Amino acid sequence: MRVLIVEDEPDLLRALARALREEGYAIDTAADGEDGLHKAVTWNYDAIVLDVMMPRLDGWTVLALLRETKKTPVLMLTARDRPSDRVRGLDTGADDYLVKPFDLDELLARLRALIRRAANESRTRLEIGEIVIDLPARLVRRAGELVPLTAREYALVEYLALHRGEVVSRTTLYEHLFDENDDTLSNLLDVHVSNIRRKLGHEFITTRRGHGYAIET
Amino acid sequence: MATPLKPDGARGGRAVFFRSLRWRLQAWYAAILVVLVTVFGFTAFALERSRQLRQIDGELQARVSLLASGLRPGGPPSGPRPADRPQPPGDAASEPRWRDVPPDRTGPPPPRLRDEPGPPPPRGPGGRPAGRPEFVLRPELVAAFDPNAPSPFYYLVWLRGAEVLARSQNAPDLPRPPVEGRSPRQRGDEREMFLYLATGDCVLAGRAVGPDLAELDRLAWWLFALGAGVLGAGLVGGWWIAGRAIRPIEEISAAAARIATGDLSRRIDTADAESELGRLAQVLNATFSRLEASFAQQGRFTADAAHELRTPVSVILMQAQTALSRERDPADYREALESCRQAAQRMRRLIESLLDLARLDAGEERMRRERFDLARVVHEAVDLVRPLAAERGIILRVEAGAAEALGDAERIAQVAVNLLTNAIQHTPSGGEVRTQLSSDRDGVRLAVADGGEGIPLEHLPHLFERFHRGDAARTTAEGHAGLGLAISKAIVDAHGGVIMGGNAVEGGAVFTVRLPGATAS
Repeated sequence: MRVLIVEDEPDLLRALARALREEGYAIDTAADGEDGLHKAVTWNYDAIVLDVMMPRLDGWTVLALLRETKKTPVLMLTARDRPSDRVRGLDTGADDYLVKPFDLDELLARLRALIRRAANESRTRLEIGEIVIDLPARLVRRAGELVPLTAREYALVEYLALHRGEVVSRTTLYEHLFDENDDTLSNLLDVHVSNIRRKLGHEFITTRRGHGYAIET
Repeated sequence: MATPLKPDGARGGRAVFFRSLRWRLQAWYAAILVVLVTVFGFTAFALERSRQLRQIDGELQARVSLLASGLRPGGPPSGPRPADRPQPPGDAASEPRWRDVPPDRTGPPPPRLRDEPGPPPPRGPGGRPAGRPEFVLRPELVAAFDPNAPSPFYYLVWLRGAEVLARSQNAPDLPRPPVEGRSPRQRGDEREMFLYLATGDCVLAGRAVGPDLAELDRLAWWLFALGAGVLGAGLVGGWWIAGRAIRPIEEISAAAARIATGDLSRRIDTADAESELGRLAQVLNATFSRLEASFAQQGRFTADAAHELRTPVSVILMQAQTALSRERDPADYREALESCRQAAQRMRRLIESLLDLARLDAGEERMRRERFDLARVVHEAVDLVRPLAAERGIILRVEAGAAEALGDAERIAQVAVNLLTNAIQHTPSGGEVRTQLSSDRDGVRLAVADGGEGIPLEHLPHLFERFHRGDAARTTAEGHAGLGLAISKAIVDAHGGVIMGGNAVEGGAVFTVRLPGATAS
């Protein structure tokens, strides 16, 4: 899952990015509204964490401009906690609203919920054959047995599982698993897929030659 | 709890009522009215009474004169009449003469008051007049003492020596002529007037004045009723007028009470703006407006302060939670702690600024008033910010002539550092920050000009507002919360100086501080 954080507070931006990366997210950062809008429009993020008070372009404007072209889920982050501010944020097209100072666990939970909802998934446990994916705990079990996966591998499984039944192109996978600073070799994706197949069974991920990968329903 | 409080409340309410302006107005009004009505009533009664009595007395006097003229000293004798002593009719001695005091019947006859000489009345043995007087009931007398008149008069005529010579039928049974007292006199229900003649004989005319007195009583009652009516009407009218006069006060009071309970947006209706109360309402409204603005400013200030604290708190929370979420190597912990430290420092600076402002607002911060070398202060301030300027590649230029100012050198240094830091932050790398210091007759002038883009026009009116920032967001790297200029203004104001911000003709923003010079004190 790839998330864009738009926050003008460098300390907070750094801390947020670090915390989310540890949760296995691919994180892009923007320190002002203009940069944030540019990135948000250019890439297909799974979610955007957007601060309201920013130089150049404030959060409201970024959101309004973004909504002209993209449906990316947006979590507004703000120090304004008056109900009128929340209403304004939600009415402008924000999907969720979190007031500073916030609890990191709450932010992570809200982010997961946003991503799940965007994929039309309301359950937090996905069962695919004998494989069970626990989204909040970020754990995968096979026939009841915990399967150790790396963060990247889990992210790949999670993404395909949330979009199961769809063929996900390699480009899309790249876009959602690696952040802007990752200059990963293109065959790394194949390495991850083969590792996952070794751990969860060869049939778990099917390859559509020339199209991409898929987890069948 | 409520029950035992109730009587207190009721007593308090009554006490408040009696202390109320309306009640007091009413009480004064009633007191004045009572006095006026009473004085009027008694005066009217007394006037009417004396008028009636005067009228009766007039009638009595006329009748007494008639009676006196009906008494003929030389009438046909009832005893042997001394022929040698004829008394001509109309003799002066027989003329009735008014006397206030009856003569002493045992003493000698009173001295004649007339200087017209005449022979003394003939006296028989035992002091009796020689000729027994005769009372002639003339027609005028009959008419005057008509017993069938609506209020009949009566008469009594005594001879000297208390012998009743004549009396009307309706006369009371008075055995003796009046001995003392003034004439006319009031005897029970009768009004009487008497006259001693020079002969010692006494005539008395009287009238029962019971009906007249009853009439006067009725008048008294009528006056009393009228007074009570006027008083009642006056009280009701007064209550109404007092109520009308006080109603605007009550409206003002009610509006003020609503405002006091928190609804600061309310205002008193000032439709009647010309009256004294209208002006009071306007003054109050102006006060409320200022209060509201002040509260709004305070609220905004608090919200802004909270807002400014949210970010560093977020950082600390985030760093701590991330660091604690799993085992890490010491370098990671160090990094997290360093972030927390920076955030905490930022909070500390913010809190110091807030406290500074609060003290300045409360006037607790007493500014010293002493001569100091402003040029030295400015140079020190420039030296202080030099590292910051060097870091950003900014050149600091100072033109400081000699300038002595009056005030608190430490606080003015704070202003200078604030302005310099501000200027450095708004100057791009390679730019210049120019500081000029000059003094003239009016005082000293410190100007700090930056090499930035200047201040957008829409921000100019808000430069010195707390938490106001030119770019509507945190210029975060410096941890600058938008309080520096507000604090500077508070300090300069406390010195009786002026601080201004604007754009220089050649571009860039320039902030100017004017302070009283050392000579102006």
